[in-house]
Amino acid sequence: MSSGTEHEERFRRVYAVNFEPLLAYAMRRVEQPEDAADVVAETFLVAWRRSREMPPEAEARLWLHGVARRVLANHHRGGARRGRLGDRLQQRFRAALAVDPGSEVPERLTVRAALARLNELDREVLMLTFWEGLEPREVAVVLQVSPAAVRTRLSRARARLRDLIGDDLDSPGHVLDVMAVRAPEEGR
Amino acid sequence: MTDEQLDRRVRDADPYRPEVLAHLDGAAQDLLEEIMSTPILESVTEPPVRRSRPRRRLVGGLASAGVAATVLAVAFGISMVRTDQPGDHQVAPETSSNSEAPGTTSYSAMVLKAAEENPRLLIDQPGWEATHVDGFTKRAGSITYSNGTRHLRMNWYEASEYDGRYEDRLEVSKPEPVQVDRWPGDLFRYSASDFAVMLRPRDGSFIEMRTASAWTRADLDRVLASVVRVDARTWLAALPAEIVTPERVTERAAKVLADVPLPPGFDPATLDIDGVNDPYQFGVRVIGPVGCAWIGEWTRAKKADDHAALQRAAEALRSSHNWKVLQQMDAEGDWPNGFWETADRVAAGDRVGPKMFNPCD
Repeated sequence: MSSGTEHEERFRRVYAVNFEPLLAYAMRRVEQPEDAADVVAETFLVAWRRSREMPPEAEARLWLHGVARRVLANHHRGGARRGRLGDRLQQRFRAALAVDPGSEVPERLTVRAALARLNELDREVLMLTFWEGLEPREVAVVLQVSPAAVRTRLSRARARLRDLIGDDLDSPGHVLDVMAVRAPEEGR
Repeated sequence: MTDEQLDRRVRDADPYRPEVLAHLDGAAQDLLEEIMSTPILESVTEPPVRRSRPRRRLVGGLASAGVAATVLAVAFGISMVRTDQPGDHQVAPETSSNSEAPGTTSYSAMVLKAAEENPRLLIDQPGWEATHVDGFTKRAGSITYSNGTRHLRMNWYEASEYDGRYEDRLEVSKPEPVQVDRWPGDLFRYSASDFAVMLRPRDGSFIEMRTASAWTRADLDRVLASVVRVDARTWLAALPAEIVTPERVTERAAKVLADVPLPPGFDPATLDIDGVNDPYQFGVRVIGPVGCAWIGEWTRAKKADDHAALQRAAEALRSSHNWKVLQQMDAEGDWPNGFWETADRVAAGDRVGPKMFNPCD
């Protein structure tokens, strides 16, 4: 086991490298952007508590995504604690994200609305692939399914999304929040 | 639309805005420091022999003689050093490999730091034990010591609150000077059997003790004479096994959840419990999120027409009548009854009103 200081230094490095990816991950999946601060805070708190189990630094990101996914599941159920940590982060978020929702490009809203209508695993495969930029084998680690299952899902999810976007082209903007949808967990 | 076009449209729809980072203004670093100042729960070994001595004697004879101090040092594998600081009894770990030997207590630096910020007063008199502690990792909190029907609560607050509270107490009675382990303070009389003692601020905080149930001034003087200030390790070790210190959270949560079905995807590691609650409050903190998650799962399954999941959630909620922890808590308070009432209504598909018990609160 590494010494306390080494261990702390390692956690600091992992935090520095992964803060932004985790922040982005959370922002993409919560209804209110400032809730992302809560999710990031809790994910890193759990990671800190479990940091002895954390894989080597190069693989820590996928492990953190896995932790964040469980934190989000609790968050969506409303059982997560709120605002105990990261209060300041949340305040900064509110200030930084005070944008006019009307300024969003309608086409983006259409795509997000279509994503929201997919089932959770299809949506996660697409989001992890295109927003987090993960390879299928990496998506497989986060979702705890096989890489082959991810490839099949990806292909199917694309087809479903294409259908949904086609349906919605003429009626953009009726659903703004991808994140409000609580879909069943699958394949776990 | 080709795959390529579709992929590009999905990429373009990414709601993340990297520019948010430029506005965080050090908040990310603050969060890191906050997180790293919380205890790491896995790094601690429990002292298996701790309960083998009667816990009534919290710090046997610490204040008076070396004999009990030696016993304590042997029991915990630690060496004791009396310092010249008034009212401060230090216990330092041995530097040898002894510190990892069976029968020793090993606390993470973060736990010790948190304990350092507590006043760490113990009543060194037979019959007294800590029955409730909260605010373990905060600058304010309380610990209650009980001996039969008598209780003494010690609240601690930030030093900045001292003047305001002292002024309030002057409305109660004239202050009478007292000392607690050479720490000066003032005693106030609410009545002939009800007292408060405010100790002067020290290290950024101050303590107010308050009696509960009937006391005499003589009783209080005897107890105050046996209050000692100890170092963090001794304080942590003196807390009875029923009190859930940060080291015990993981293990204790596992025990509480042993006969409790967990909702899909529920991870006990995400429970936010920073330790030192009495068993009843600990039960609330563990079972509340589980119940909340089962109700969320039931609601989801209902909306999704997922009959199997609905059935599982209803069965889990109904089974709460058999959860051992709720049965134990039932003897002490109403929380389990509220939980069961709501769980039964949800399981039966009945509406739960906004004013009814909600485990998510």
